[in-house]
Amino acid sequence: MWPFDAFVSPKKLRAAGVLGMNARNYKVISHFNKRSLYPLVDDKVQTKTLANKIDINTPKMIGVVEHQYEVTDFLSIVKGHSEFVVKPAHGSQGKGVLVIKKYADGVFTTASGKVLKFKEVYQHISNILSGLYSLGGQYDVALIEELVHFSDAFQNFSYQGIPDVRVIVYKGYPAMSMMRLATKESEGRANLHQGAVGVGLDMRTGRAINAVSHNVPISIHPDTQADLMTLQVPLWKEHLMIGAQAYEMTGLGYLGADIVLDKERGPMMLELNARPGLAIQIANGFGLRDVLKKIDKKYPKNLSAEERVEYVLNNG
Amino acid sequence: MKRFFTVRHTLCLFLLAAIIFSCVATYYKIAYWGFSFRPHEKTDVWTIDAHIIFEPTGEPIEVSLSTPRIGNEYKILSEDVIAAGYDVRKDDKNYRMFMSSKALRKKQNIYYRIMLYDNEDTAGKIRDDRAPTIQKPVFENEQQEGMVNAIWELSEKIDGETKAERIIKLLNQDVLEPEVDAFLPVRKTPKIMAEKIIYLLSVKKIAARVIRGVYLKEKRHAASADLMLEVYEGSKWKVYNIFTGEEGLPKNFVVFQRGGVSLLDVAGGRNSQVKFSVIKSVISSFKMAGRRAKYENSRLFNYTIYNLPMHEQNTLKWLMIFPLGILLVVLMRNVIGISTMGTFTPMLVAMSLVKTGFFPGLICFGLIIAFGLLIRTWLTRLNLLLVPRISAVVIFVILIMQFLTIFGYQFDFKIAASAVFFPIIITAWIIERACITWEEDGAKNATKQIVNTSIVAVVTYLVISNDYIRHVMFAFNEWNFVILLLVMLLGTYTGYRLTELKRFAPLVKEK
Repeated sequence: MWPFDAFVSPKKLRAAGVLGMNARNYKVISHFNKRSLYPLVDDKVQTKTLANKIDINTPKMIGVVEHQYEVTDFLSIVKGHSEFVVKPAHGSQGKGVLVIKKYADGVFTTASGKVLKFKEVYQHISNILSGLYSLGGQYDVALIEELVHFSDAFQNFSYQGIPDVRVIVYKGYPAMSMMRLATKESEGRANLHQGAVGVGLDMRTGRAINAVSHNVPISIHPDTQADLMTLQVPLWKEHLMIGAQAYEMTGLGYLGADIVLDKERGPMMLELNARPGLAIQIANGFGLRDVLKKIDKKYPKNLSAEERVEYVLNNG
Repeated sequence: MKRFFTVRHTLCLFLLAAIIFSCVATYYKIAYWGFSFRPHEKTDVWTIDAHIIFEPTGEPIEVSLSTPRIGNEYKILSEDVIAAGYDVRKDDKNYRMFMSSKALRKKQNIYYRIMLYDNEDTAGKIRDDRAPTIQKPVFENEQQEGMVNAIWELSEKIDGETKAERIIKLLNQDVLEPEVDAFLPVRKTPKIMAEKIIYLLSVKKIAARVIRGVYLKEKRHAASADLMLEVYEGSKWKVYNIFTGEEGLPKNFVVFQRGGVSLLDVAGGRNSQVKFSVIKSVISSFKMAGRRAKYENSRLFNYTIYNLPMHEQNTLKWLMIFPLGILLVVLMRNVIGISTMGTFTPMLVAMSLVKTGFFPGLICFGLIIAFGLLIRTWLTRLNLLLVPRISAVVIFVILIMQFLTIFGYQFDFKIAASAVFFPIIITAWIIERACITWEEDGAKNATKQIVNTSIVAVVTYLVISNDYIRHVMFAFNEWNFVILLLVMLLGTYTGYRLTELKRFAPLVKEK
């Protein structure tokens, strides 16, 4: 009946409970995410300030460079820090992030081992301010924060880069989650469309249930050969807590929380997203639509963040 | 009740209203303004010149000419009399033009000119309950009576519905019966034929008369009026062709005089005659719309774009195609799910293609993008700030266009000359975006984006460059309401996109 083998019928997709882009935009985002709340998550400085108010763990902020003339003062801001991260406050998908592993005697060493002089770092910050990495090219500010020492728990699972956990939170309930692992192809970045591996996680346990690379199910990491099905995120409840608290923090009914696991400080919120993508469904191997429906119909209302996480851990 | 008035239902309701409105408006435009779905529809406009010639006798002159009546048969574009020194007066009731003057000497030439269009088929029958009195002719001799009776007998064998038709056919046979041949004179002018037929019919007490008019045929010059026969049958005057017996007023026959009145009356003149010339001209149907509207007393027309000066009309004609292009973009993005560089970029490129022509435009555009990307790659190494960098790309695009045009001219390579039609800023942004995508997501993704954008641009081009579609969207611009509501309704479309059927295919578990 269906002429193209690569395509499936919409009926089958609906039966599988898949949430499409149009449905996400119309039924979910436009209903539960007020436009006025977007700046809270689009601006990382604001997100961080809000998170600190309610004790959500985030990488500590070292400073902010807001104006071009302040760039020269950059050295005084990072004084006493031997490692830090510079990122655009309005960046997305890890664009414009500069990770300095070692800073000593006016020489900066990046995560990949490249050695930069002050002039080059200056140029980079200057680019951030001029809006090179922000959406629509509007003026931006550069955020300087502490480096995350990510946990050894995922050492074999990621080819360079920082593996992070993405939790989709719907009406305060963590609804779906995945871990994103960098590959050689993705060049250390954790975006699925750039070739990163997505691993769907069980909402109760934080254990891997499915893994995909370029929309194709896999079970072994293409570069490190690690068995992805053995992946287990430690401190799972704490991960979910960050997601659940982000709901109260921002008021966004549908959001994506990107969380990294620090060796010493535990799970930390890296950034929030008011328009999280739908690739997470492929990573998990099932649709988001049914999950959202279940939350709408069955999950209790007016619970605290902690109670919601408990509910998900027991019933999810 | 609350569920009934959802956004989607309300929009559907409005859409239905818009469709009904558009259908009505379209019907109105076709029926009353003569609009057509075909883009190059032409209307024939016929100019009939009646040239009146006479020699004055030295008395005050009064000339009167019977003119075409305004009916359903055709519409009159203009009516004009060229008669220097004459007082011209029109009797609208009796359709007669009067021209009077004091006594004159020289031979007089008066011109009456009428322009007609939209001549239509009509029955050509006139109801008249006052049965005409008819005098049966007295035969000169028995021989004549015998001949007439023989002709009537012969006419019984001819195919035809009425007596008049049979008689006319009999008199116009290729090989005439001996009786008929003897009855008719050697010189068979239309006038003589008409007289003979009227005579024969009067024998059977059937009233008949001649009507004068003009056949709308090209290359007709200074000819006398054409004749047709009108026969009183069943309390109606019916028109017959003198030579074929065919009943009904032909579409291309304009009646100047019918009934008891004369075609031309000249008081104070002699040797008067009237000669008719016919010229056909072709005018775009569209330009006649205003005239038609005036004819129908349709004031609405003044408030449409068709009543604007040509320049404004052309600008609007160009704009009227946009909503359809926008609908296409919405379909491509939200229903098919093709991601392009910038929402309306493909449409803007398609618009340029319309101006440059398809293949020259595409080749030229490809060249600009290719050169632009090369230069942009070089700019990357300079690490310029965003605004100066994109500005530099804009200037480079202008320079590339300039060189293409110059070289195109020098080497007589016409394709290159179309370079200037591409929107500079948009082109620069395409280059910028392509370059950034290239750096961040690899050459594969960048190429995919460019190819997607081109595909959407080409599809949009095919739609908006179509003469037929452009004409329809302009002539029946009310359909833009329908497009508007369709676009809004698509804003509530929550189904899957076509590309998602492939993207999410792994989620469908095969049993």
